[in-house]
Amino acid sequence: MSHLDPGAATAAPTDARIHAFDHLRALAMLSGVLFHAALAYSPLLHGFWPTADRTQSAWIDAFAWCLHLVRMPLFFAVAGFFTAGLIARRGMGGLLRNRVRRILVPLLVAWPLVHLATSASTRWAVAEVAHPSPFLSMVREWLAMPNPPALPPSTGHLWFLYYLLLFTLLAWVGRTLGWGSGLARAMRMPPQRFALLIPLLVAPGFLLTTTPHPAPESLFPQFWALALYGPFFALGTALHGRIDWLKPLHRWLWPALFACGLAYAIFLWQLSNFDAGDWSRHAPASTALLQALIATWGTLVCLLAGLRWLARPRAWLGYLARSAYWTYLLHLPLLFALQYRMLELELAWPAGLLLSVGLTLAVCLTSYELLVRRTRLRHWVG
Amino acid sequence: MTRQLNWPIIRLLMIKDWQLFQKQLAAYLLAGIVSLGFLGMAKPWAFYIGSLLLIILLVAIACFAISTSLLVERKEQTLAFVMSLPVSPLDFTVAKLAGNLLTFAVPFLVMALFTAIIVFSTPLPDGLVVLAALIFGHVLVAYCIALTVAMQVESEGWNVFVMIGSMVLINPFLMVIGQMESVQTVVRGNAVVWHAPVLAILAAQVLTGLACLAFATWSNGRKPAFY
Repeated sequence: MSHLDPGAATAAPTDARIHAFDHLRALAMLSGVLFHAALAYSPLLHGFWPTADRTQSAWIDAFAWCLHLVRMPLFFAVAGFFTAGLIARRGMGGLLRNRVRRILVPLLVAWPLVHLATSASTRWAVAEVAHPSPFLSMVREWLAMPNPPALPPSTGHLWFLYYLLLFTLLAWVGRTLGWGSGLARAMRMPPQRFALLIPLLVAPGFLLTTTPHPAPESLFPQFWALALYGPFFALGTALHGRIDWLKPLHRWLWPALFACGLAYAIFLWQLSNFDAGDWSRHAPASTALLQALIATWGTLVCLLAGLRWLARPRAWLGYLARSAYWTYLLHLPLLFALQYRMLELELAWPAGLLLSVGLTLAVCLTSYELLVRRTRLRHWVG
Repeated sequence: MTRQLNWPIIRLLMIKDWQLFQKQLAAYLLAGIVSLGFLGMAKPWAFYIGSLLLIILLVAIACFAISTSLLVERKEQTLAFVMSLPVSPLDFTVAKLAGNLLTFAVPFLVMALFTAIIVFSTPLPDGLVVLAALIFGHVLVAYCIALTVAMQVESEGWNVFVMIGSMVLINPFLMVIGQMESVQTVVRGNAVVWHAPVLAILAAQVLTGLACLAFATWSNGRKPAFY
């Protein structure tokens, strides 16, 4: 049995194309482990990331920000696709019940646990690590103050669950207010033209935030995040039942990939001129447009590639798809605990990255096997 | 004499109200997300727009639920159709009360929760929670009074007057509590202190609200006929 997105149906997919989206969702989520692990070696994030290592590499920035620009847009596009599927199969009530069970409950349970685990390992690192990251040093200074400032509450890396809930509510709003027909009309547009227009739709989201865009971890909905990920979610919902709409784009796969590469090279060049310490800087329009182009075309490329190469069921991909949700929930506190300990080791960044990702995935997959796969927990996070 | 409530019918009546409400509620939900988005911008101007929008929304939801489910129904003679169902006046009263309270309580509690989060998670003084609780208490009691009057009075004019009047009274209420020492001293500080006068007002608000609802249930439930 293949599981779809967090909150999606647990029913087996009925056609090969769903397998493709299922696998894409898993890869988008699991690439998050790689992304978060890589940030420890990012020169751009060195001053801010809690587990920032002494060794850094510009290659990490080149890799990580590309992943960052595509993986969550892809995730939300796939989530939108499965949301529309759930509405089609079970109706709005079924969708809401499913989202409560598969998103709201896991969010409410995992949130405090993740927060406690991450805080505990950070407190340990602040007290024990001999080679602290700049962030840990800053926390040490804070703690030495008579009235240390408290960090505002945030959703942490579980922000995607919060936004999935928001998008579910917005899907209900859109459906109730009859916006579905507008979306259907938009999909009558030739996909080539749509592909040219959609970066313009996404660009305001990038324009409203800093570059590179952060995770919208605030407890309040962030306009930029809604404007950035909302169109992808809407695209996903519009694609449900119309997957053939993407067909004319298949011959654009390689040119689009090349265009994304070119746009990303220019973006990296722009990024290299940024002051790494100035994270309050909002993107100029040209950078926002470049990011929108990479995010949209990159997502379309991933969808096309998924439909071409990931459409057939494969046991290992199916297993990853089922375990991805649990892995993603669990990975960050584990990764932080590991990387805090690795701050003491003098490892080259490729070894550190490989070790932290490997160990984190090993623990997550083992715990999935032991705690989730054959237990009732699979109904919530399996 | 005790009467068995017809829960399947009550449920159906509530579903009917929900189906009538949902378009407007969807619009309110969208406005709620937008206003929370303004608050999330963490800028003074956005805070004022967001909080103002939230209060307007709260008042609008309170008035809208009463207006759609009671006043419009009365005007459009929907009651005549309801009377053709196997439903007693008590069933009808319970359905109306429960449907209305649900429509109001969900956004009310969500907004109260987010208001507390705003206060505690931003540099705003935590003592503002006391003022916020009193304002929410006022909206609650105004809603309960308006709902009770709407269920009792046959006049649409009086209903609208009470609905708007009780909500507009928020201004003099704010002026009065703003001058109370037990509120003034707390709202500017970071300690959340519930002084006795504040607790007394909150208790009075809750008790008044409950008394209104109890009266509405008792008064409508004992009617032998719908009119």
